[in-house]
Amino acid sequence: MHRVGIIANPVSARDIRRVIANAAALQISDRANIVLRVLACLKACGIDDVVMMPENGGIRGHIRRRLDCSHNRGETEFPKVAFLDMPVTGTVLDTLRAAQLMRKEKVSAIVVLGGDGTHRAVVSACGAVPIAGISTGTNNAFPEHREPTVTGLAIGLAVTGLVPPSVAYSANKRLVVEVNGAQDIALVDAAIVTECYVGARALWRTETFRELLVAFADPEAIGMSAIAGLLEPVGRGESGGLLVELAPENEAELTVQAPIAPGYIRPIGIAGWRRIGADIRYTPATRVGSIALDGEREISFSERDRVTIRLEENAFRTINVSACMAYAARHRLLQRAAMPELQRSVM
Amino acid sequence: MSKNPFPLSKQDLLKAYRTMRLIREFEERVHNEFAKGDIPGFVHLYAGEEASAAGIMMHLNDRDRIASTHRGHGHCIAKGVDVRDMMSEIYGKADGSCRGKGGSMHIADLSKGMMGANGILGAGAPLACGAALAARYRGDGGVGISFVGDGASNQGMFLESLNLAAVWNLPAIFVVENNGYAESTSRNYAVAVDSYVDRAAGFGLPGVTVDGTDFFAVYEAAGEIIKRAREGGGPALLECKMIRFFGHFEGDQQTYRGKGEVEDIRSNRDCIKAFVAKVIETGVIQRAEIEGIDKEAVTLIDEAVAHAKAAPPPAAKDLMTDVYVAY
Repeated sequence: MHRVGIIANPVSARDIRRVIANAAALQISDRANIVLRVLACLKACGIDDVVMMPENGGIRGHIRRRLDCSHNRGETEFPKVAFLDMPVTGTVLDTLRAAQLMRKEKVSAIVVLGGDGTHRAVVSACGAVPIAGISTGTNNAFPEHREPTVTGLAIGLAVTGLVPPSVAYSANKRLVVEVNGAQDIALVDAAIVTECYVGARALWRTETFRELLVAFADPEAIGMSAIAGLLEPVGRGESGGLLVELAPENEAELTVQAPIAPGYIRPIGIAGWRRIGADIRYTPATRVGSIALDGEREISFSERDRVTIRLEENAFRTINVSACMAYAARHRLLQRAAMPELQRSVM
Repeated sequence: MSKNPFPLSKQDLLKAYRTMRLIREFEERVHNEFAKGDIPGFVHLYAGEEASAAGIMMHLNDRDRIASTHRGHGHCIAKGVDVRDMMSEIYGKADGSCRGKGGSMHIADLSKGMMGANGILGAGAPLACGAALAARYRGDGGVGISFVGDGASNQGMFLESLNLAAVWNLPAIFVVENNGYAESTSRNYAVAVDSYVDRAAGFGLPGVTVDGTDFFAVYEAAGEIIKRAREGGGPALLECKMIRFFGHFEGDQQTYRGKGEVEDIRSNRDCIKAFVAKVIETGVIQRAEIEGIDKEAVTLIDEAVAHAKAAPPPAAKDLMTDVYVAY
């Protein structure tokens, strides 16, 4: 029996970027419907045991109502769904606690609905359990964009072993930030800005940007990693990352027009950039400011604090949806022969 | 360290602290005085929620109008209403903000843009729309801000106001102060979808959620939203997730709260403690400056209470005056 965990964050995509950048605000009912689509896919792949993070934002209520309706109508479209027995705080602590409990319960994979911040929280607590990301946040540089139905099918094919692990799972890089020995992580980028407070978290005042480290740099991404992606792309599966030294626009010899939030394209001053290798500790030149992890200010620091950042490779596993679906097509995993009397030649 | 890394000047940081400390001192003192039985009517205290009022009102001036709630003392103080007038009003005295006839839930001072606390849940939202419409007609760049709790946000007039503001593209801002309880009913029970951003989106408004216990989070988000509204960018909703230290009203036994909940939030989620830790850590403000403001707040509230107790109540001959106010 395979058990799959689902962590759906009801509070991602709620920050100031709705106002400054017209970013999306995916509704609770949309998030719940995504979960229902994934549940249907898991069931179709033979998975009948799902455990979810409880939350009080409305996703759980919506799903329960839909599951009840389906049951009342005699349908067998969905697997059994249980909610973890844990307190709900409405904060990131819920995501961390749920990921820890799912790891303890030895789930085969964790499906994550959220933005970069939610994925970061899950990765920090899930250990070796592979994750499958579904983008419901603001910038979403980490989770790939595709219809969740396809992600759901790939998860089912991966965890049931229909797609072999060597194909189904990918290794990922991450950035490890240490402040006076205390660790945090970023999945895509760690930016140093001069604002010395967490505040509204998002980054949009470009004059405060100073340093940027990225685990991968995709020119199709938005957010801070877009700056690096438009300078020198670095693949997710490629060794090493990129360090970009940033400067106020009027002091820099080069600027790059980067989409640092959805629909928010600004000139970013560039002082230089270079490739960085794994496991080399980088000490920011900025002495007072904040560290933004995957686009959100998380840690403020002063001259008294010792800050280092390093790139870690093979840090966690994700389900490779493209590879799973390609394998499934190639090996006809989702094809079924019709009854003999209905069989005909398929050209 | 001399460089100020905050988005406010040192002077404004001190002003923000003074506002929050004055609200806290006011509310803690009303809590104690109410227990003695000297204060008529009901009071609903704002302690624990100061970062919201201060973070928003730092961006406003007297031409901007706010419509408050039954829990309005913090909004009044942050908007600049005199604490002595407020205390007299709460005590029902003739020299109170509303000549002693309104009490805690109706404190108003139009000269400060404070249109009033409001005993009717959700009723501030249409008032803020009216103020926003007036500001647009005047062309003075003013905004109308409505405060509402998570419980009152289920009221029809609040939702109708979101629609009206969107249709007329008013410089109106709807602040949902989400402290988790509608009186004694948890939002987990009474709100089908606990996202005010979703609700705003349903009317075509942008919505933002912030940690309402973090002054800087509220200040930054409110600043962008208010600036946008002043410039003609239209209405928006701001949800401040926050906590209240006291019960719904004074005398509330709070049996609906978890064991140790109040102690925990007082210890770990006090917005004033967090603010002080931050500004002192960076060296921008010294401990002595904080202590000076603390003493100043105690003195102001001592004086306000002593004055209110000694002040005369309204005379019988004034019973029928001030019933209607000409704007």
